[in-house]
Amino acid sequence: MATLVPPATTAPPPPSPDSKPAEPEKVDYMDLPCPIPYEEIHRESFMSLKPELFEGLRFDFTKGLNQRFSLSHSVFMGPTEVPSQSAEVIKIPTAHYEFGANFIDPKMMLFGRILTDGRLNARVKCDLSENLTLKANAQLTNEPHMSHGMANFDYKGSDFRTQLQLGNGALFGASYIQSVTPHLALGGEVFWAGQHRKSGIGYAARYNTDKMVATGQVASTGMVALSYVQKVSEKVSLASDFMYNYMSRDVTASLGYDYILRQCRLRGKIDSNGCTAAFLEERLNMGLNFILSAEVRIDTYCFFFFFFFFFQLILCQPPQAIEQSTGF
Amino acid sequence: MASRVALKTKSKGAKGGAKPADERSAVKCLKEWSTWTIKKAKVITHYGFIPMVIIIGMSSEPRPSISQLLSPI
Repeated sequence: MATLVPPATTAPPPPSPDSKPAEPEKVDYMDLPCPIPYEEIHRESFMSLKPELFEGLRFDFTKGLNQRFSLSHSVFMGPTEVPSQSAEVIKIPTAHYEFGANFIDPKMMLFGRILTDGRLNARVKCDLSENLTLKANAQLTNEPHMSHGMANFDYKGSDFRTQLQLGNGALFGASYIQSVTPHLALGGEVFWAGQHRKSGIGYAARYNTDKMVATGQVASTGMVALSYVQKVSEKVSLASDFMYNYMSRDVTASLGYDYILRQCRLRGKIDSNGCTAAFLEERLNMGLNFILSAEVRIDTYCFFFFFFFFFQLILCQPPQAIEQSTGF
Repeated sequence: MASRVALKTKSKGAKGGAKPADERSAVKCLKEWSTWTIKKAKVITHYGFIPMVIIIGMSSEPRPSISQLLSPI
């Protein structure tokens, strides 16, 4: 016998303490979260879709002397791209050894790498005050006019960030990003390159929730970049990316996945240029990491495979153990 | 009229000629000095950055020993 079901007058089940309330929260516009830095606006899609694909063999060994200071030794053997005038990519097999020193402090980070051909990569990050940070990086070579250096001053406000950039070759840049709502941040940047007589302005927007991130960026250099990342679960996220240059009419779209599992991280992507790539990072043991990467480019019929062992040895003992062992 | 204008500009030019020359040499001096400083700073950074990081690291607590620095393992 059919019975009339009364309309749902019962209250919805009370929300569990962990879930968000059904009604929208009242937004306090004076207390918005601090947005992420302007240059990291595409961070999630970049991490998923652009892993560091390399070709060749690399072995890396990092030795920690204490909690903050470590030395690293790295050997690389493989082809490196040489810039050429023609559209073809010229690769020369090279091998080099790289020695590095890292010092990591809560207030200051120093990172230096020197190669066998005399090139130095240096990075400095220093907290000048609670809200002001200086970041500098330099690539110095023995060849004249081939060295580059750049310094960034970042100021972090309560709901905005601003950055001033100075580089060699009379490069000046500034960017500003502001949280407009708890989920939406809008920003802009300007740059001026004196040496190349170029200047540009760009705008960016980022909308993020716990489950997704959508970003868009437009620049006067002709670049339009849109990206969307959906976090399907704690371990899986899917990303897509669209890049269009309205000056050169160049379009690229890519789609990828990112699996972050307990002992490994697997990323893969496919491109509208016919490029398919996969990247696996696995932690084999305490301090021993292994990376396998493969890339297939159908447009140029090139295949790249890369194999990387990274071994990190931490020799320092925690302070309590030192006291116990020495008896002081 | 033209001669008056020409005279005026000539006198202006004579007065103004000394100032731009001074300014130009000051600007040139400043440019040369800054170029020299940047070149020296580049050489100092190139050779001294990694030793500076090592010195800062070796003087941080707990102090590692020289043998730890030099041994490959």
